[in-house]
Amino acid sequence: MDGDIEISIDKLPIKRLDAIEENGTERFPSDVDYDEKRLNLIRRIDFGWAVEREDRSKKRKSEGTTSANESTTTNQHTGQWQSLVENLQFAQQELSVIIDLINTVQANDAVTVAGMTRPKQLPNELLSDLAVSTATKLQCFWHLGKYFKQSAAALEKQVAREARFYGALIRLQQNWKVKRHRLVAAASGNAGFFIDLFYNTLYDTSVSLRPSSMSTIPIEHDAAGMLAVNVPPNSCRSLRFEFLGSHSANNVRRSGETNMHAFSEDSSTETNKEHANDDECVRKTHSLLREVHRAIFDEQVFELVSREACNSSLSVNLTGIQENYLRLSINQGASVSISLLLSSQDNKTDIVSGTNSSETETIPSELSDWSKFREGKDNVKKLGFPNRISFEIYLQQLFHEYVFVRAKDKTSSSFRSLISGQQSKDNLNILDHFCMSLAHSIFSNKVLSELESLVCRTPYVQLISHPTWHSRTSSWTLSMKVPQSILHVGSQILSSGISNVKNVRSQFWSKVVVIDESISVEGVGDLNVVGLFNGKPESICPINRYECDLADLPIILLQQVASQVIQWLHEEALTVGIKVTRDFLSLAFELDHGEIASLVAHVDPEDTRGCISWWLMMDDGITENHKLHPDLSIGESESRKFLGHLSLDVLYSTLLDFVNLCSC
Amino acid sequence: MQNYFFVVSQRIVRVLELAGGVMDEMASQSGPRKEIANNHCSEFMQLIKDIQFALREEIKSACEYRPFEKCDYVPRISNEICYKKLEYVIAQLDEMKQTMEGYRNAA
Repeated sequence: MDGDIEISIDKLPIKRLDAIEENGTERFPSDVDYDEKRLNLIRRIDFGWAVEREDRSKKRKSEGTTSANESTTTNQHTGQWQSLVENLQFAQQELSVIIDLINTVQANDAVTVAGMTRPKQLPNELLSDLAVSTATKLQCFWHLGKYFKQSAAALEKQVAREARFYGALIRLQQNWKVKRHRLVAAASGNAGFFIDLFYNTLYDTSVSLRPSSMSTIPIEHDAAGMLAVNVPPNSCRSLRFEFLGSHSANNVRRSGETNMHAFSEDSSTETNKEHANDDECVRKTHSLLREVHRAIFDEQVFELVSREACNSSLSVNLTGIQENYLRLSINQGASVSISLLLSSQDNKTDIVSGTNSSETETIPSELSDWSKFREGKDNVKKLGFPNRISFEIYLQQLFHEYVFVRAKDKTSSSFRSLISGQQSKDNLNILDHFCMSLAHSIFSNKVLSELESLVCRTPYVQLISHPTWHSRTSSWTLSMKVPQSILHVGSQILSSGISNVKNVRSQFWSKVVVIDESISVEGVGDLNVVGLFNGKPESICPINRYECDLADLPIILLQQVASQVIQWLHEEALTVGIKVTRDFLSLAFELDHGEIASLVAHVDPEDTRGCISWWLMMDDGITENHKLHPDLSIGESESRKFLGHLSLDVLYSTLLDFVNLCSC
Repeated sequence: MQNYFFVVSQRIVRVLELAGGVMDEMASQSGPRKEIANNHCSEFMQLIKDIQFALREEIKSACEYRPFEKCDYVPRISNEICYKKLEYVIAQLDEMKQTMEGYRNAA
C-alpha cells in the first residue's frame, strides 16, 4: 500500500441539526439504518488504490500480449470482481448481524421474537389431529357415561336404604315430635334425630314441670339400617293407687299392661325384608313411645300430687312419704297410697318378706277361685271401699284436665266450680278434691248398703239410684208405688157411686241425697194427674227435708215410708168414705159404737223378716191407751193384735174390711 | 301423605341414569342415535322440572310450617285415660257376665 495513511474522523454520534426553519422547527438528518451505517463505513474505506493496481496490471497484461481478448477479459474480470465484492459485503453484513445477535443473547438481553406465523398445516396433519381429539372426547364420554351409571346405581341403593329409615321416621313424625341435634349430627355418624315427648304446661308457672330424663329418646339405626328406638328397660313407671289393708279383691290384674320392654330387644333382630316387617317395626316403636309417654305423664302426676300433699291442706293428711311413694289418710278411716311402680313389678306374684313392702305388693294370681273372690268383694263392701282402679283413673283424669287441658281452655268454669267448691280463689287444690271425692265415695257406699238392706226387707219399696255426674254427690230414691190392682179396685169403687172424686196419690218417694259426707232426706208425694188440675192445697204433700246421720238413717227412712203408707191409707179411706183420723204412724177408724180401731205401724231396722210391721189396736174410748207407742214388751192382749208384715194389697183389703165395720 | 324424600330421590336416580345413557350414546363408535338421545334428553328435562316443582312445594310448605303447632300430646293422654276407662268398664261387664252365669249355673 502506497501513499500516506489517511485518517478520517467520525463525527460524534450526536444529533446534529440539519436545518432550522423560520418557524423554529428543527430538521434533523434522518436516522441512518444500521446496515447503511455499515455500508457507509465500508464505503469510506478507499479501495481505489487496489482497484487501480489491478487495473494497471490488467492493462499491462492486455496491452502486453494480446490486445483484443485481454481487454474483454479484463472488463469481465472487473465486473466479476465488483459482484464478488458486493456479495462479500452482503455476507459480511449478515454475519455481523448474526454475531451481534449471538453476543446479545449471550449477554442475556431480552430478545423479542416477533410473531411467527405457524406454517400452514398440511391436510393430513389436520385430519390426524382431529382424529386424536375426537378419540379423546369419545373416551371421555364413555368414562362419563360409566360414572353416571355407577353413581345412579350407588345412589339408588343408598336411597333404598335411607328410604326405609326416613319412611319410618316420617310415619313416626305424624304422631310424635321429631327433632334434630345439629351438633350431635356433626359429631357422630348418626343423623342426630330424637323424639321429644315432653309437653310443657305453659299455663301456670307454679305448675311447671321439669322434663324427665326419658323425654328425649334418640333415634338410631339398627344393623340393617332401619330405624330403631331403644329405651332402657325398667325405666317406665306407672302410677298406682291403692287402699292399704285390702289387697285381695281390689288388685285385679290389668289386662292392658303388656310388657313393652321386649320391643327394645326385638329391633336388633330385624331382618331386611319387605313392607310387612317395616310396618311391624313402626308399630312396635309407636307402642313403645306410647308407653314412655304415658310413663312420663304418670311421673308428672306423681310430682304434682307430692307437691300438693306437702303443701298441707284441709282434707289431705300425709302420713307417709318415701321415694316414689306417698301415703295419705282419708276421713273415713281409710289409708291410701299413691306410688310410682315399675311396670315389671306390677306383674310379679312373689311375696316380699319384711315390713317395708312399699314397692312390691302381693297380688293374687289365682282369681279363678270364685268363692274367695266373692268373699273379698263382700269384705270390700263392708268397708265401703270403691274400686281402686276407678279412683286411679280419676286421679289421672283430674290432674290431666286441670293441669294440661285447662291450659288451653280457660273458660272451663264448670270444672273450676267442681274443684273449688267454696273456695273462690284461683289456687285450686286437686288433691283435696280427690280426697274428698274418695271420702264421699266410701261414705256413700256405706249409705247404699244400708239402703239396700232396708229395701230388701220392705217388698213394696224400690231403690232407684240417680247418677249425679258429680263426684261428691250421690242420690237415691226409695219409691213406693201403689200396685195397679189396688188402683183398679179403687177406680171401680169410685165409679160405682161415690161422687166425691178425691185425689189419691199413687206414688210416694223418699229421696236420699248425700253431699260429701252429709245425708239429707226428703219425703215427696206424687200426685195423680187429676189432682194436679184441681189444685187444692191439701192435695199437695208437704215436703219434709232434714239431715241425719248414717246411724239414724234407717229408722228415719222407715218412719217416712210408714207414714207414707199411712197417708195413702188415709186418703183411700177418705175416698171410700170411712171416717178416719191419722196420726204420725197410725190410722184410727171410728167404728159403730164409738170404738176406735187403730192400725199402727211399727218400724224396726233390725228385723230380718221385714222392717215395717203392723199392729191393730182397739180402743173403746174408756181405757187409756198408748196408741202411738205400741210397746212390744206388753205383747198382744185384748186390745192389741199383731198383724205382721203386710203388703199393700193386704192393707188395702183390711181397709175395705173396715168399710163394713164403720158407720158410713 | 306422600313420601317426598323417596319420590324425589328416585327421580334423581333416574336423571343420573338418563345422563349416563346420553353419554353412552355420544361415546358410541357409530355416532349417537338421535332419537334415543333426544328422548333421553327430553325425559331428563321433564324430570328436572318435576324435581324442581316438588322441592319448591316442599320449601313453601316448610316456610308455612310452624313447628309443633298442632302438637297432640295432651289429647293423646286423654286417649290413654279413655282407654283405661274402657278397659275397666269391659272388666266390670265381664264380671257381671260371670255373675249371671254363676247364677244361671246355680239355678
